[in-house]
Amino acid sequence: MGVKLNVNGDVVDVDVSGDTPLLWVLRDHLGLTGTKYGCGGGYCGACTVHLDGAATRSCQLPVSTLQGRAIQTIESLDQRHPALVDTWTNNNVAQCGYCQSGQLMSAAALLDGNPKPTDADIDAAMTGNICRCGTYVRIRAAIHQAAGHQATGSAE
Amino acid sequence: MMNTITNLSPEFSRRRFLGVSGVLVLGASLPVRRALAQTPAGTFEPSLFLAMDGQGTVRVTVHRSEMGQGIRTALTQIVADELDADWSRVEVVQAQGDVKYGDQNTDGSRSITQNYDRLRAAGASARLMLRQAAANRWNVKVDDVAAANHEVVHAASSRRLGYGELATEAGLLPVPENAPLKKESEHRYIGKPVIHVDAGDIARGKGTFGADYAVPNMATAVVIRCPWLGGGVKSIANKPMNEPGLVAIETLDAAPSAGPLFAPLGGVGVVAEDTWTAMRIAQGLDIEWTGSPNQTFNSDELRQALRDAVAKPGTPVPGSEKGDVDAVFAAGGTELSATYETPFLSHAPMEPPVAVADVTEERCVLHAPLQDPQSARPLIAAQAGLTPDKVEVTPTLLGGAFGRKSKPDFALEAVELSKRVKRPVRVQWLREDDIRHDYLHASSAQHHRAVIDDEGKPTAWLQRSAFPSITTVFAAQAVQPAPWELEMGFSNLPYSVENQRMESTGIRPGARVGWLRSVCNIFHAFSANVFADEMASAVGRDSIEHRLALIPASGKLKQPGQPAPPGHELDFGRLRHVIERVRKLSDWDKPRPEGVGLGFAVHHSFRSYVATVLEASMDNGRPSVSNAYVVLDCGTYVNPDTCVAQMEGAVVFGLSLSLYGDISMKDGAVVQSNFHDYPMLRIAEAPATKVELVPSQGRLPAGVGEPGVPPVAPALSNALFAATGTRHRTLPIRT
Repeated sequence: MGVKLNVNGDVVDVDVSGDTPLLWVLRDHLGLTGTKYGCGGGYCGACTVHLDGAATRSCQLPVSTLQGRAIQTIESLDQRHPALVDTWTNNNVAQCGYCQSGQLMSAAALLDGNPKPTDADIDAAMTGNICRCGTYVRIRAAIHQAAGHQATGSAE
Repeated sequence: MMNTITNLSPEFSRRRFLGVSGVLVLGASLPVRRALAQTPAGTFEPSLFLAMDGQGTVRVTVHRSEMGQGIRTALTQIVADELDADWSRVEVVQAQGDVKYGDQNTDGSRSITQNYDRLRAAGASARLMLRQAAANRWNVKVDDVAAANHEVVHAASSRRLGYGELATEAGLLPVPENAPLKKESEHRYIGKPVIHVDAGDIARGKGTFGADYAVPNMATAVVIRCPWLGGGVKSIANKPMNEPGLVAIETLDAAPSAGPLFAPLGGVGVVAEDTWTAMRIAQGLDIEWTGSPNQTFNSDELRQALRDAVAKPGTPVPGSEKGDVDAVFAAGGTELSATYETPFLSHAPMEPPVAVADVTEERCVLHAPLQDPQSARPLIAAQAGLTPDKVEVTPTLLGGAFGRKSKPDFALEAVELSKRVKRPVRVQWLREDDIRHDYLHASSAQHHRAVIDDEGKPTAWLQRSAFPSITTVFAAQAVQPAPWELEMGFSNLPYSVENQRMESTGIRPGARVGWLRSVCNIFHAFSANVFADEMASAVGRDSIEHRLALIPASGKLKQPGQPAPPGHELDFGRLRHVIERVRKLSDWDKPRPEGVGLGFAVHHSFRSYVATVLEASMDNGRPSVSNAYVVLDCGTYVNPDTCVAQMEGAVVFGLSLSLYGDISMKDGAVVQSNFHDYPMLRIAEAPATKVELVPSQGRLPAGVGEPGVPPVAPALSNALFAATGTRHRTLPIRT
């Protein structure tokens, strides 16, 4: 079926079967490979995107349900959250990096709704994102640091 | 140019590298299909690892695979430092698999150990050649010119030339041998925290992992494999025809049922125009499989066999016997004995195996997250029906590996399917495929028995270990653990015991066994560290005091069998030092609240020394770890921030296996399939972690990726004992 999608502010037409999860549309049909496949079951968060601003697992979203919804992917994060991207880089948060697109998208959605999250807020918002390399302590620190920059309007 | 330079003033206070003012950032993408040595004439290419063009852009070729351990950055730091290059003018080129580089196996935490000297020499030779070229141009002595930050300077005349301007002339000079190396105090990148070369790309979703690599006209395949090892396709009941997007359904030959087990498992390859179509069609197939001797394999029975094995004498480790253990046991005294058990584990890297192959009659081009592209190359050539010189194997970024991606079975599937459908093919493993068809970390059992004196010191110590040996994947006849498996924390126990015996037993499994981050050290460190804690608690002694009393004051361990190479020996002083430091770092002697316990463990592996203290309690019936303290002595280190990150990650990896890791097998098949039944530690469970690094002191560079893992599980078990009085001798610890 033909579906009109709003991805990172662009309207794009894709022709796929309606049950195709958004994840595979992004990766295979739109060349947006920053969003990763990790489990296909909504357990790991590697495929996290923003759907109308909310962190959502794209492996669980049939594309037929997304007409008219605003989809944002990791590829747009630099424009929207430069402090977060820089903080992640400057703190060497990533190890292998495969889960980090999803981690960043969950972190960005958290900061959008809660500019000064506590450790408990971070744990709650980030609990759906697995990192096998174990970068959690740096993720926590980087979110706090990025929140500080956002609050003062500075981006390193 | 792929370089992007960012001015940074990050907060490094968190990382305990005070006094370091700047952090270096080098942005580089993984170049796609760029071959080494395609530089035009007139450029400077004094080694396999280093090239420079007339603009002064330096290209460092990295011949190891990046899987999160920061190797693309660290190897580049070494070359750039000795070259005295401006970091902002350095690019990273990923090497293809090629014997010309020497060993390319990213495995065993040894990339720096093996390459530190040769890469320093590569940089230093190039720097001397650039100085010589400048000296020739100015007609002065080479000793009168100095290299500094991408320039050669003649101080006496205040003349200077950029490296790029000297590239052509330097390229005409012979490569000197034994070029002088910098002193440690002169290092500008080695030993300094440097931002990983791929960090900026990764934070923007631009890193190229295996599944992100794409070529025109590429199809995607999902393979359904027989649940048991050695089974093949008997029939496909409902093969679809004319399904939109379907390219082909291909039957792949079954793997053998016993070693060598490096071939693909076989099964049914569903090749489609996109991933979802392949997944959907694959899920709908009704496949009947042929039988295999492994179909009767059950992990519960293996676990019982392992327990039985350590309840009776095994094969003595040659050279391990000291004194007369049996005589001391017969004489009586305070005797302790305990049996420890660990289950099968799956690697579960966040990126499931994936590979892109483009096979034609003339060439095979393969891109995949491979730990050893060089050893994969002849296998890929054979699968493609080509000679190795017609095969290019380029590693992408590895989205985690932990040992899994040292086996190229998934790459061979892509090669076979590309050959069949005459198109580029990406083989995408699903998470379920990854968990069910791994090379599993071996299940094991250990038995310890000791007679201890009033201070808890063993006068006699018998150790037994039983596990399916990794050598079973190499050969159908292999049974007994190999010496190198026993040297992972078993036969090289660092404690003074007058009467000692070590015995091992191997059992053949009905599954593929492989190496997982720190390998046999996981179960050997677990049992030895918990048993030592049991000795201390039996006489009411502090665990760290007690442990220090077991370790000789100085000298090096003489291990049974082959002696360790110089610099690799276990040094008792260094082992004691990390223990003393973790005691301070963790405030070990400060009493904790009721219900909160501290647990200590120490382990030497991959030439490094790691002491770990965990603070734990029970929270709603589940173990909970609030703080982790780790001291690492890895000899000379290149990127201290990476070393700290690897210890932080090792705590999480170690806690995942301690609290959750449990793969079981029934009727030859793995029972678990995804993160709902093979869970990982999540952020709320990750303890606050403090890491200290012992200064380099000019010592042999040792391993960093793996040695942080082994002490975690025993430190947790010991902490829970301190908190609750309950001993945990079986992993995972669920309640």
